[in-house]
Amino acid sequence: MTTPEARVRMVGVDLQENDDSRGIVDALEEDNEGVVISRMPGLVRVQCPHRLVINQASVERHLGRPWETQEFQLSIVSYFGHIDDWDDDQVVVAWDH
Amino acid sequence: MQYELRTQVVDQRRATFSYLAERLGDKPATRYEEGSVGIQPKENFHYRPLWAPDHELYGADWSAVRLTDPDEFRDPRQYYYAPYVSKRAEMHDAFGKTIDYLDERGLLAKLPEPWGRLLAEIVLPLRHYESGAQLLTVLGSRFAHGTTVAQCCTYAAFDRVGNAQLLSRVGISQAEGSDALLEPAKQSWLEDEALQGLRRMVEELLLEPDWAVGLFSLDLLDRAVYGLVYRHLDTVALLDGAGAYSLIIQHLTNWFADHRRWLDALVSAWLADPEHGEGNRALLAQVVTSRLPQVREAVTALARGIDDRIGDDGAAAAAEILDGLRTGLVEQGLIQEEPA
Repeated sequence: MTTPEARVRMVGVDLQENDDSRGIVDALEEDNEGVVISRMPGLVRVQCPHRLVINQASVERHLGRPWETQEFQLSIVSYFGHIDDWDDDQVVVAWDH
Repeated sequence: MQYELRTQVVDQRRATFSYLAERLGDKPATRYEEGSVGIQPKENFHYRPLWAPDHELYGADWSAVRLTDPDEFRDPRQYYYAPYVSKRAEMHDAFGKTIDYLDERGLLAKLPEPWGRLLAEIVLPLRHYESGAQLLTVLGSRFAHGTTVAQCCTYAAFDRVGNAQLLSRVGISQAEGSDALLEPAKQSWLEDEALQGLRRMVEELLLEPDWAVGLFSLDLLDRAVYGLVYRHLDTVALLDGAGAYSLIIQHLTNWFADHRRWLDALVSAWLADPEHGEGNRALLAQVVTSRLPQVREAVTALARGIDDRIGDDGAAAAAEILDGLRTGLVEQGLIQEEPA
């Protein structure tokens, strides 16, 4: 990522491509503006400028079952950004500078 | 010799079935969506059914309650075969554990006498109620338009058979492994004053040709019956030294909470429908007007039966539950005016 206009810093997460993370990806797409989703074999990368919010409520709605933010650990393969906040109802990935 | 490992990505031409891509965009769909959305047969029916020549084999006109696009409805629980079966297997395992625990200690047979009578004479006969509810619900799995709706009905119908089985197992356990209580329970269902209101309403609903009206009316009754027999009595049992009752009944309370999720979503979808919403509201309001007094009567009689056996203030609880039901219906706009 050495493009000259790299001033917009992306944060993002890489998730396993499975039925569970499909709900998470849909929730991310709904709750964040400017989401870029790239699908690779077995992997989904979700990127967003500056800040990415994962809301428990929207993930639950998309998955159709109770979901704890801790379960995010099971889907996540890698992430870039800084985990700003990880509590019961949301996870926030952002750059803090 | 050196190997270089590289990944080669072959882009899929399409991420999902074309009828899903048209609806949801070309991205991988969930298993639930692939198995439920857009698979309702809508055209190319060759013959009309001989027993209903005014209808096509499948179509929206089997019910007066309509949805503009039934495929927009989603089961909030997203049940398709696999998750449904594993969820219910879990439930029945949990119930099996409970009943084994009670069997080992003979706790159901040792219930305090009034509670034993209540269980055998009021709760056990409700397996016939569940059986009637099964017939009413399964009508939706045949006639509902839109697979997302029909499959909810199918699962709910199987659930009712399952509930009837749970109750039967309770009866067998209470009679210490024999069917001695099941026969008299059938007689209670046919003859006991407390149950006749329920039986009457269920049997009348069996004659209702419109599956949606039947299901909705049954739900009015369900909300009151489950509220009284399963939720209210659960608490009373714990305070009254009949813990065994509470242990078994919790499974039905939990089931009902799960059942409500799709039914509430469906009723909301009916009422919020952009095209048919008003018509649906008028029709359901009419059902409420005609059936709610009957629900009130049936459940009040049931509460009286409960009071006779355990000396509880079931009548007051029933009144409270019915008021709650009424308030909910007023909020949904299904009852216009407050009673004087």
